Amino acid sequence: MTVTDPVDSANQTEEQPQLSLGRTAARQLATTTKSVPQMQGISSRWLLKVLPWVEVSGGTYRVNRRLSYAVGDGRVTFSTTGAEVRVIPPELGELAPLRGYEDEDVLIELAGRFRQHEYEPGDALVEFGSQADQVFLIAHGKVSKVGTGEYGDQTVLGTLADGDYFGEVVLLSGDEIWEFTAKAVTSCTVLSLPRRDFEEILGRAESLQEHLAEYAAIGEASRNEHGEAEIELASGHDGEPDLPGTFVDYEAKPREYELSVAQTVLRVHSRVADLYNQPMNQVEQQLRLTIEALRERQEHELINNRGFGLLHNADFAQRVPTRTGPPTPDDLDELLTLVWKDPAVFLAHPKAIAAFGRECTKAGIYPDAVDLGGHRVPAWRGIPILPCNKIPVSETRTSSILLMRTGEQAQGVVGLHQTGLPDEYQPGLNVRFMGISEKAIISYLVSAYYSAAVLVPDALAILESAELGREG
Amino acid sequence: MTVTEEPAPQQSLGTRAAKTLATTTKSLPQMRGITPRWLLSQLPWVEVPAGTYRVNRRLTYTVGDGKVSFFNTGARVQVVPAELTELELLRGFADEQALSVLANAFEQREYEPGDTIVTAGSSLDHLVLVAHGKVDRFGIGEYGEETLLGTSTDGDHFGAEMLAGVDETWSFTARATTRVTVLVLPGATWTRLNGRSEPLRSHVREVLAQPRKPQNKAGEASIDLTAGHDGELTLSGTYVDYDPSPREYELAVAQTILRVHTRVADLYSKPMDQLEQQLRLTVEAVRERQEYELVNNTDFGLLHNADLKQRITTRNGPPTPHDLDDLLTRRRKTRFFLAHPRAIAAFGRECTAAGIYPATAELDGKRVQTWRGVPMLPCDKIPVSETGTTSIIAMRTGEDDYGVIGLRPAELPDQYQPGLNVRFMGIGSRAVTSYLVSGYHSVAVLVPDALGVLDGVEIGRA
Repeated sequence: MTVTDPVDSANQTEEQPQLSLGRTAARQLATTTKSVPQMQGISSRWLLKVLPWVEVSGGTYRVNRRLSYAVGDGRVTFSTTGAEVRVIPPELGELAPLRGYEDEDVLIELAGRFRQHEYEPGDALVEFGSQADQVFLIAHGKVSKVGTGEYGDQTVLGTLADGDYFGEVVLLSGDEIWEFTAKAVTSCTVLSLPRRDFEEILGRAESLQEHLAEYAAIGEASRNEHGEAEIELASGHDGEPDLPGTFVDYEAKPREYELSVAQTVLRVHSRVADLYNQPMNQVEQQLRLTIEALRERQEHELINNRGFGLLHNADFAQRVPTRTGPPTPDDLDELLTLVWKDPAVFLAHPKAIAAFGRECTKAGIYPDAVDLGGHRVPAWRGIPILPCNKIPVSETRTSSILLMRTGEQAQGVVGLHQTGLPDEYQPGLNVRFMGISEKAIISYLVSAYYSAAVLVPDALAILESAELGREG
Repeated sequence: MTVTEEPAPQQSLGTRAAKTLATTTKSLPQMRGITPRWLLSQLPWVEVPAGTYRVNRRLTYTVGDGKVSFFNTGARVQVVPAELTELELLRGFADEQALSVLANAFEQREYEPGDTIVTAGSSLDHLVLVAHGKVDRFGIGEYGEETLLGTSTDGDHFGAEMLAGVDETWSFTARATTRVTVLVLPGATWTRLNGRSEPLRSHVREVLAQPRKPQNKAGEASIDLTAGHDGELTLSGTYVDYDPSPREYELAVAQTILRVHTRVADLYSKPMDQLEQQLRLTVEAVRERQEYELVNNTDFGLLHNADLKQRITTRNGPPTPHDLDDLLTRRRKTRFFLAHPRAIAAFGRECTAAGIYPATAELDGKRVQTWRGVPMLPCDKIPVSETGTTSIIAMRTGEDDYGVIGLRPAELPDQYQPGLNVRFMGIGSRAVTSYLVSGYHSVAVLVPDALGVLDGVEIGRA
């Protein structure tokens, strides 16, 4: 084997005159091989891939459901001035007994009576068995409800977080006792309204008395555990009893989803489009990147749109906060109890997936990966966890994890689009020629039409306030 | 990317107005109450052409003891007098007065977790009934250390040998794992009462005098065999005796009358048939109810039909891998577990805490969790008590395996789906059409060990 001495030749190059054609000059004759224009913003867009798309031929999709009486409760929002937290009066209507109550003056008065308390982790807000005499609204922090187990020990009933409330039965009756102990898990800011103050206002406001009486009456309408009007059945009977007659009632005002649009006008100078087309068609490349951006935007909207975005469209009963902070295996198990009927995929920010991986490692377990469309993806209990960078991460480094069932047959989450558009370029996306301006600029209108619908509330659940950066 | 929203005056037709011309795509009516109904899909269904299914078994002598029930008056717990006949020695004893005297003689005692209730080796001089709580029984192992024999819970008892009046010592130590309430009958009291009541004394004497019939460990009358012999022995003759009064399962029914106005059915049936949709949802509701009945019916429901010896309780509270292993060892070929989704989550938590990750498996195209390769199927019909306790069911299925089978009728008139028919009842004078929707079902446990239940599963324990 021969080893050429590099030192020697390096010394010589400076001195010797060039004997052959140089690299720079040679490049003048050669063709450069060029890549198509690259783009960093392209993500895997799993959501668009896993959602089954339903054809909406008339631009509107109506989700018909069985008639249900509202049982799920909303969340209360607060306004903050410095350290002082106040509840926004109309938001009190989210409390189940006050739903639909509209007398602004009374609500303002009620809101004014709430008092602010601060609790440290471990403090008890209410004690099991003591008299229930206050309504609590949680402005910030996590509170865990602890009840008594079968053998007198403690059992965790659930976790409440920002905007949740408890003790609303106090509004209906003064002689309830607390059936659980509420303990602060983090430091908490809580507003409370004593029954005494409520009674005082109730005594003066006749409209409120009427409203509560109505509420108590509605509470007795027969419904199943999901709040749907009951389908009367008889079973296990013998002999000849009168059978119940029944019919299945539908919601009178079903929700309609209209296809939303993401649009842009793509401009290409006619000289560019005419001349610089070898080896790549300029218009085609412009279009390709524009469509990529549009698809990214489409996924962003499917998650974040206030009208139909999954983060905003999930039922309140289907949202749980993490138990402590980081997304632990226990939290994901909890999420699986909410969408227990054939869950299809988890969707999480890549950093949330990493945080979950850390928690698994800490617990000493290694969840197996599953195969999805030819890719190995991490999974939990056999349900793939797909990365989606459109899920927002807050400034305090908290994020959400979604779990959903998909498909129209399974009464899950479906994507809506319309195919067969004029000048369709891809399913649900069309490119229309707009014309050439007097500056010789060709314009194309690129539009993508889409929406997403949650057919039944329990098809989608969200794990909220998962902390991504917490160590230890 | 920017989204432009200009408040400029509208120049063309808006979407709202355009919608009035376009057809809205409509979903089928959605129903939240529909569940995967794993039990209905996994049970093998046996067709019962004549409405009754008789389970013939080998003649079985009742062995062992049943569970005793209690009633509370405030904090005072008392045993139901008639329930004392669940004790082997008192079985068939009918003198109510003597029983209630006996029931009143029990003393109530409370124990904290960790307290010892009886100690191995000490004299067996009292009968203990566990009213509430969990008690672990420890024996002495091969090398002198403690070995867990089992867990007793509500309604169990130990020390019944005392009633026979033999002088014995406790062969195990019993220790409370939770707060425990027990009722204790001291030997001295028993001797005193026994001495006073002539019928009681003679009953005990009779029972003790009865010879024990030859039987196998499951209580079945034995089949005499000769094996391992040499030469020309007279071989044992035998026959297999059958249970003279076998259990018969009659098909139960879930029914409703579906009413549809003729005008609705006649006119509003595009694009979806109104009647068909009404029927579809009603049938879903009937199916859900069927599953509920298969689990909870007090006559044939799985939770109530499980043999007492096949009911075990969790060792501690939450469903741990140990508990499910205990449940698995009780039968061969366990086909699946059935648990409330929250119980599955609680089990998942226990696995995570133990640092294990059970594998998943695919069943009918769906991913399900497994334990030791046996799928855990979610079923929200299994009740969860207010204190957060529930049960987990394990079963072997199929007629060929002597397992659990679902029963449904063979071909029905106007059959809509197997085991379910829809009969036209007529049109009333208010132009309302009525249909009778009936689902027939039952479930039979062929051999007691085909079905096991893990009770006392706490799902909320942190």
